[in-house]
Amino acid sequence: MNFMKRAWLNLIAKKGRSLLLILVTGAIMLFVMAGLLIKSAASQAVASAKNSVGATITLTANRQAAFKKMRSSNASSGQPGKRPSLSLDPVKLSTVKQIARLKNVAGYTTTVSAAANAKSFEAISTSSSAQGPAGPGGASSGDITISGVSSTSGSTSFAAGKAKITKGRGLKTSDRGTNNVVIESELATQNSLKVGDTITVKATSGTKKTHSLKIVGIYQAASTAAASMGPGASDPANTIFTSDTLANTLKGSKYKDTADSVVFTVSAPSKVAAVKKQAAKLISSKYSLSLDDQNYQMVKSSMGSVTSFADKVVWLVAIAGTIILALIVILMIRERRYEIGILMAMGESRFKIIAQFFVELFAVLLVGVGIATAGGSYVGGKLADQVVASAATNTSQTAGQVLGSKTGGPAGQAPSGGGPSGQMPGAADAARATQAKQQAKLTVKVTAKAVAILFGLGLAIILLAILAAAAGILRLQPKLILIQ
Amino acid sequence: MLETENLTYWYTNQADYLFQGEHLQFEPGHSYAIVGQSGSGKTTMVSLLAGLDTPKAGTIRIDGQDIAQIGLAHYRRRKVSVVFQAFNLFTYMSALENLMTAMAITKAAHAGDQAFAQAMLQRLGLTDEQMRQNVQRLSGGQQQRVAIARTMVCDAPLVVADEPTGNLDEANTDEVIALFNQIAHEQGKCVIIVTHEPSVAAQCDGVLRLAHRTFTWEKTPAPQLAKKG
Ligand SMILES: Nc1ncnc2c1ncn2[C@@H]1O[C@H](COP(=O)(O)OP(=O)(O)OP(=O)(O)O)[C@@H](O)[C@H]1O
Ligand SMILES: [Mg+2]
Repeated sequence: MNFMKRAWLNLIAKKGRSLLLILVTGAIMLFVMAGLLIKSAASQAVASAKNSVGATITLTANRQAAFKKMRSSNASSGQPGKRPSLSLDPVKLSTVKQIARLKNVAGYTTTVSAAANAKSFEAISTSSSAQGPAGPGGASSGDITISGVSSTSGSTSFAAGKAKITKGRGLKTSDRGTNNVVIESELATQNSLKVGDTITVKATSGTKKTHSLKIVGIYQAASTAAASMGPGASDPANTIFTSDTLANTLKGSKYKDTADSVVFTVSAPSKVAAVKKQAAKLISSKYSLSLDDQNYQMVKSSMGSVTSFADKVVWLVAIAGTIILALIVILMIRERRYEIGILMAMGESRFKIIAQFFVELFAVLLVGVGIATAGGSYVGGKLADQVVASAATNTSQTAGQVLGSKTGGPAGQAPSGGGPSGQMPGAADAARATQAKQQAKLTVKVTAKAVAILFGLGLAIILLAILAAAAGILRLQPKLILIQ
Repeated sequence: MLETENLTYWYTNQADYLFQGEHLQFEPGHSYAIVGQSGSGKTTMVSLLAGLDTPKAGTIRIDGQDIAQIGLAHYRRRKVSVVFQAFNLFTYMSALENLMTAMAITKAAHAGDQAFAQAMLQRLGLTDEQMRQNVQRLSGGQQQRVAIARTMVCDAPLVVADEPTGNLDEANTDEVIALFNQIAHEQGKCVIIVTHEPSVAAQCDGVLRLAHRTFTWEKTPAPQLAKKG
């Protein structure tokens, strides 16, 4: 084991050189590590996006079919002056229950949009809603948006984190048939309302009757929601969550046992396609089923570019690093020609001469990988933030264009007959893109696998470089090494 | 103890051989000087004797055994110890570490015995401090003494030196040659020194001259000087 001792003596006697070697090795290893980490983080992000957003199916009226019908009826009536009206058939709950009985359907939440006018209290008026015209398409509108849900926790706004309960409780399926509601905190503050109070609203369609509502909870809407409102839209604080049955009552008797949209939860993302196929058999062409996998698609495409970037980093640094490290090792060994000659003149075996160099560089590699392990998360994280930021900007732009050109998103906020003006589709897409961007944030963490890969790579490089450099010297007669 | 039979060598890129069919014999307990003009082939000869190169023809035997048969690496490890004009020592070690390393590699009887190595360096005039600092901080004469101390702590019966005094002044040269004579006469080893200095050759027991591609004895060691061991 004398070669071990020699290796140690060499490393400590030539501290400057050892330190330089460690720094170079550490830097190379650090970048390879960062690349490896970003790559695995990107594929993990795709996998988790798939798991988190892919497991729902939304049932809505088929807007495309409705538009087609509207155009053909316009043409046949031959009255170009008449404003076209779009009639969307609400989803029947009987159909919903049929679908809910399918295998792998874990549950569903229904959404009913309605409008009403505040009676016992004041609605919040924003400058845009005050100046704006009444809702588009001649739909009856009020100053209060009624969002009827089977449960608040299952509704899109709450599930997406755009709204959260701050006082009291949310609505549950047991609230169906009651007049329990949840109102926004701004609306509550302005009208000095609290949980347990009763308010009244007047329906804008159907019977136009006055209904009294009982506040069971107060929620807070995310501030970004206001920015995503189009002109003429009601302030988001004016949205009152009710049970879907109450919303239907406000809309009118013909809307009994219906919903604007229903979101089915499927037990596993992998089962979604099969469930959709089966459910499609149960509905007519007036309705459409859509998968809410846009987040997943967006994360997937943005992560695709991250993965390809990380791949390039790994390859580039690995190749450049291999060359640099190999050259340094070769130079170092050539410079130690006389040392090799002395060892050979003493009869030291070639194997032990190589072993000494290997031990020296192994120690250097060990520290280098240590540096990479310690700094990998930091450097990888910084690099990942940059890459993700540019990737997300690119994809949200293209995704925005794609989504904008597509009519009838699956989200329940799309305006429907008799409903309020609702959110602009473009705004919804923008919000979606932001959401995807947040999900695309990579968590870069050093893994044992990455350390092992790095170590293997480094080991292979130094072993090959030592053999390449030493072979040229060791095959010579010692005389030629020593006396030249 | 060391003999060459029909020893022949030439460099492939040169027109003529350096020497041919040489029969030479060296005995333990004696010091030998090899002299001759520059470029005549002295270094080449001792490289063959030290097992650092292989002859083109002929054999070298130590105690009757062909060194090619023993294996050159083994021969170098166990039988011969070399001292050159320069580049003798591991530059990243102290004098003491150099000796310890050499003893370990050659599996000397005193391998691992630091006190023994220390005593040897002390005997050769190195202070405790000098033997513990990096060898590059020692003078040329001190470094050469370390190389000689190294041959003394190792067990190899043959010591080969190529112009070991080439970089030294007169006083240091005399000291170093005196040490080589000690190795021959006290340790009973066979010492072969290449030199171009007549004064060095004069202090050796035997003198072998290489001229006109032939080795001739200028002086043969007196038999009574030999200490049989
Ligand atoms: N590796 C080599 N390849 C080719 N020729 C060589 C080689 N080494 C030495 N020679 C030549 O062989 C001859 C003998 O060289 P060698 O070194 O043995 O001489 P030397 O007697 O030791 O000389 P000096 O006293 O100058 O050290 C010289 O002419 C030299 O040029
Ligand atoms: Mg020479």
